[in-house]
Amino acid sequence: MSMRVVANLNVCQGHARCEDLCPEVFSTDAVEGKVVIEQPEFPPELEEKVRLAVRNCPEGALRITKGGKA
Amino acid sequence: MTLQWQPSPPDHVPTELMIDFDFFKIPKGITDPIQIWHGLVRQGVPPIFYTPHNGGHWVFLKYDDIVEGYRNYGIFSTHQTPIPPIEPFPVVQPQGMDPPEHNVFRRVLAPMFTPLAVRRMTEGLQHRAETMISHFAEKSRCDFIDDYASKFPTSTFLELFGLAEERLQEFLDLAHIFFRSTDPTERAQNLNDIYAVLEEMFREKERSPGPDMASTIVAARDANGNPHPWEDILNCGFLLFVAGLDTVTNTMAYVWRYLAITPGARAHFRSKLDDPAAFLIAIEELMRINAVSNIFRRVTHDCEYKGIRFRKNDRVILPNTVANRDRSVFDNPHTIDLDRKVNNHVTFGVGPHRCIGSHLAKREIMISLQEWLRQIPEFELDEEQDEGSVFGGSVMGFTSLKLRW
Ligand code: HEM
Ligand code: SF4
Repeated sequence: MSMRVVANLNVCQGHARCEDLCPEVFSTDAVEGKVVIEQPEFPPELEEKVRLAVRNCPEGALRITKGGKA
Repeated sequence: MTLQWQPSPPDHVPTELMIDFDFFKIPKGITDPIQIWHGLVRQGVPPIFYTPHNGGHWVFLKYDDIVEGYRNYGIFSTHQTPIPPIEPFPVVQPQGMDPPEHNVFRRVLAPMFTPLAVRRMTEGLQHRAETMISHFAEKSRCDFIDDYASKFPTSTFLELFGLAEERLQEFLDLAHIFFRSTDPTERAQNLNDIYAVLEEMFREKERSPGPDMASTIVAARDANGNPHPWEDILNCGFLLFVAGLDTVTNTMAYVWRYLAITPGARAHFRSKLDDPAAFLIAIEELMRINAVSNIFRRVTHDCEYKGIRFRKNDRVILPNTVANRDRSVFDNPHTIDLDRKVNNHVTFGVGPHRCIGSHLAKREIMISLQEWLRQIPEFELDEEQDEGSVFGGSVMGFTSLKLRW
């Protein structure tokens, strides 16, 4: 089953650590600088990088779920 | 004038939480001011304690409590926080407001400081770093603070605010007195001078706007389409002037001082000159280890937190460097690991006031180091740092750092 990453935008404060660590999946918007998930269902080869990004978010705003719609 | 924000006498503080600690004072023999905080932790003082110095204030020493201090603005406010307590104190925008009012100016600034916006500044930063370093690269020595670390962020401010480069010395002088003077008369005059310069700048940008931050701030409209109060505009300009100078200067000083005495780290960064992602991971670790700012909060109402009684207007200090070396969050917290995988440091704070300049600050430091290593791959301390050159307070650092190569 594919993996999915979701963000809680109420908690995200735009540190962009996720974007720095895994630009394939995360970017930030031009107005508030909050996370934009470019690729919510990411391929297995990016799993390690996505997990690293999730663990480095200082606000705990990111979460990985298993497959399907979040 | 009635004073509104003064802390009450600490008769609510149990004696076992009372510790003798002055965060401005660096004891003789200490050449790294950050160490005064880690000394406290080593002594085993309570993780939440109160000191009578500087008007009296609490100190939080655990990562979780420091993060709570940042996030729980219902108790720990950013409004009227100076330590020692001073009244009246300007309400800087947006830092001096709690949510939701905080968002009024945060919204104005946010688009100018996103990673996207900062990426567009790269070329300008690179050009200035290259030129500034080339001025002394041939001389084989410099005072890193005077020749680079205070100049670079000040000239960045001039560029972002659309001010002429020729005014660099004027702004360096204003900043120098603001950060280093302890003479009350000189300080009062200096504040007047800074506000006079900001006033003139915003009036000029109102008349003839350009593609710069000052013009954007003065032209911004509130949710009802009205201009922001003039005083708030000045206080926002003031914050942007002071927030991005001493912080960047002293972080750089810490980083260069570490590199000057650590050949392996210089080699590490040199080997990553063509790998920006790895370079940034190493910078992030130096940001964790060299957290120069100590952040203030004011308690909004009589309450209990973690079983301890707090009184309205009690001040609290959140020392980022202590959070960043909490062993419950970081493996080998005192070890500098330039490849550290998980690094949730709070050098730029967390929560609603997360440093809006964090992407710019990191880019300034990263570009400066890249340019430096291209021109000056090897360097060392020119002489032992003399003790008089360190200072504590809300930003910790050095007044001089002599390097040679
Ligand atoms: C290494 C350099 C820097 C460090 C360590 C640093 C640290 C911090 C910290 C800890 C905060 C949170 C304050 C709080 O919660 O009360 C903050 C806020 C802020 N910083 Fe920085 N900063 C740096 C560079 C900059 C730069 C370059 C700028 C802009 C040019 C800047 C502008 C601001 C502003 C405007 C705020 C207030 C944000 C708000 O209240 O929403 N900082 N900074
Ligand atoms: S690291 Fe966390 S807080 Fe920062 S932009 Fe990414 S999701 Fe948001």
